[in-house]
Amino acid sequence: MTATVNDNSMNQQSRPYLTLARVSKHFPGVQALKEVSLDAYAGEVLGLVGVNGAGKSTLMNVLAGIVQPDEGTIEIAGRMVEVLNPRMAEDLGIAFIQQEIQVFSQLKVYENILIANLHNWRVAKHIPILSIPKLKLEAKKYLEMLDCGTDPGERVERLSVGERQMVQIARALSQGGRILLIDEPTSSLSMVEKSILFEVIRKLRDSGFAIIYITHYLDEVYEICDKVVVLRDGRTPCQGKVGEVSKTDLIRYMIGRDIELISQDNKRKVGETILEANGITGLTFPRDVSFHLREGEILGIWGALGSGRTELLRALVGFDKLRQGSVLYRFGADLKTTNRKKLLRHIGFITEERHFDGLFLQMPIWQNISSASLRTFASRMFRIMNRRSEIARARSYMDEVNIHAAGVDMLLNQLSGGNQQKTIIAKWMMKGPKVMIMDEPTRGVDIGAKAEIQQIIFEKARSGMSFIIVSSELDEITVLCDRIIVLRKGRISCELTKKDFSKDRLMSEA
Amino acid sequence: MVSETKPDSNKKKREAIGLLHGEKGLARIHNRQSVFLLLVIGLVLLSLSVFVPDFATARNIWNLLVQVAPIGTMAFGISYVMITGGIDVSSPAVMATAAVIGASYMAKTGDLIFGPFLMLIVGAALGAINGFAVAKLRMVALVVTLATMTICTGIAAVWTKGQSVVGLSPAFSTFFNSTTVLIIFTLLFLTLNFVLARTLYGRWLYLIGTNQNAARMSGLPTVGATFSAYMVSGVCAGVAAIMNTSALSSARPNMGPDTQIVDIVCAAVIGGVAISGGSGKITGVLLGAVLIMMVNNIINLAGVPDYFTSLIKGVIIVLAVGLDRLRTKSVG
Repeated sequence: MTATVNDNSMNQQSRPYLTLARVSKHFPGVQALKEVSLDAYAGEVLGLVGVNGAGKSTLMNVLAGIVQPDEGTIEIAGRMVEVLNPRMAEDLGIAFIQQEIQVFSQLKVYENILIANLHNWRVAKHIPILSIPKLKLEAKKYLEMLDCGTDPGERVERLSVGERQMVQIARALSQGGRILLIDEPTSSLSMVEKSILFEVIRKLRDSGFAIIYITHYLDEVYEICDKVVVLRDGRTPCQGKVGEVSKTDLIRYMIGRDIELISQDNKRKVGETILEANGITGLTFPRDVSFHLREGEILGIWGALGSGRTELLRALVGFDKLRQGSVLYRFGADLKTTNRKKLLRHIGFITEERHFDGLFLQMPIWQNISSASLRTFASRMFRIMNRRSEIARARSYMDEVNIHAAGVDMLLNQLSGGNQQKTIIAKWMMKGPKVMIMDEPTRGVDIGAKAEIQQIIFEKARSGMSFIIVSSELDEITVLCDRIIVLRKGRISCELTKKDFSKDRLMSEA
Repeated sequence: MVSETKPDSNKKKREAIGLLHGEKGLARIHNRQSVFLLLVIGLVLLSLSVFVPDFATARNIWNLLVQVAPIGTMAFGISYVMITGGIDVSSPAVMATAAVIGASYMAKTGDLIFGPFLMLIVGAALGAINGFAVAKLRMVALVVTLATMTICTGIAAVWTKGQSVVGLSPAFSTFFNSTTVLIIFTLLFLTLNFVLARTLYGRWLYLIGTNQNAARMSGLPTVGATFSAYMVSGVCAGVAAIMNTSALSSARPNMGPDTQIVDIVCAAVIGGVAISGGSGKITGVLLGAVLIMMVNNIINLAGVPDYFTSLIKGVIIVLAVGLDRLRTKSVG
């Protein structure tokens, strides 16, 4: 399935700024990279796509000097180089902007930007006191290159995610980078922040940077990249100009087979109301929100970042205080007002940050899957755990959601993001709640796993489970949901049923 | 509730890999840690019996085990706390407080039945205070237990006016002789080991220590379980109080010196309990305690001056833990 699209056109421009030739890297048990070759040109954005485990991070780590390739060469500006450590990468002008934003949140913006070379801005030579005005001025220079109006004296913890991203990019610029490796930068950005970021990337591209842009989202490839390289199983089955490769081809190259793009699922039966919110109002958000959820229904919550989506979920399950309103849940035949803290016993909640409050990373898969249903495995006397049945049940759920792992005792931190997310889903499937709340169910999950997760949601909904889903992805929310509530500033601005879904409507109401 | 799983094509393959990589893999690593400790202990024993003439006597080995009991008991308790991701540095001071209160009650009333229970109750109460502050009020474990330690040292000193509590009926020490102490210690070891390794409660502790937020989201009783871990530690300090009081036939306010906590934490850490929480086994802690007491014992027998003691102990601890880290690094 290896194909090189338009090999000739790649050479039209002058020489590539960065060339990787036949780079291979072997880890115990995995051939992470297999003769990978790619060219990045100054003044171009090269998209690097691939599912989790395809070798993207290994490739980036090779360039950033974190791992050494077994074979192959790296050429920068026509000169053969070796990148032995991150410091050398920096000297060679390679700057790595990582997915998880790496900032010192307790420090000021200017300290963050100039952190590597603070000693260059002393009050006077040999006097180890830093000149803050000079630092601020210097930092401002880089922020202005990014059209970012952030005050360099601000403490980073008070910045928004988008601004932190800018601080991170400014830091890369201040270190004199000519090659920018940007890894999944948009996963935590709002719409507006995302378009600002793309503006910045285009500007940097036009001023002659060679940019390698790593992403899961194919839409972003078409929006921002000039060329694209697909990585799969450590190889590059496809590279070419963005306009010349179709989206379906890209997907096929990424996962090595055709996936059925999930069909909408209309045959589902929707039952009676199981959960109802009546005018719930929190301390800031939400404000006077009422809705109901029926059995087997998938309800979407849509809104811009900061519209109070997460706060609504937290208020619903009792993590945040309510000023007014009530939550009703169906027990048997009747809807009853419930103590929200006890609601969590009946419903499942998958939060958006799985590493923070979803996973036991140092624990094996089976202990993660069983963690919400432990009591079912404990004997009545002395609460002794039946480990054998626990592992067996965990394994059956592991197969059901199709977690790819060597065994149920693999530790969670050895799994890819997609498999980690599936583990959380398996955990809640085992508990089997009637209502499942999911905040960004497919964030940081590759395209193959994403389709599988969406399939699981449909399957479970068919068997009567109800879902409340928050997602920042238009495609996802419109495909999955039966109904969408649009939030703006903590209030419901409108409610759409399936036939009224449209991108424009959702964008304008949010 | 379990839905039928379809036999998918991957399953066979996965099981084949599972054989190489399988369920037992983790258990094997854990066991290897204990094996490693046993090896170290064996090595030390061997070299001692060669170089120190009085060491390899049955009497000395018996005495060694009797000395391990109180330290080991407190180390078990503190391991429960450490597995939840906390720490309890107050246990020697709690032990001393329980001992002087219980002993002075027994000396005054001659009630040898309720006396030991009083020690357990005092330990449990102080553990409950720690647990309440950490689990419910969300205070920092180190600060809370440091404060408890200081307060308890104060209480013990004020209670006894700095004097030893004497005048216990000899029947007390006769009943809690070294054999009884070792039986209690063995039973405690078996129970605490079983509870941690095999019960629902033990699992809660590990999960809480691994990720408290995820534990709460999964619906585990994080507050209650954390609270009770501190209670366990307090009760263990109470048991240690009984052991020490019987060994001395008296109770002193300084019987749990501040330096003892170093031995206890080290026993736990050498035994494989992570400071960051979420891992460790009681079997390992037992071996850790034996190793620490052996070091103390050697230093005595070899006639090393007292002021070298902590130096040597420190080096051994760094070596033991450092070797262990190197080993696990090469494994993982």
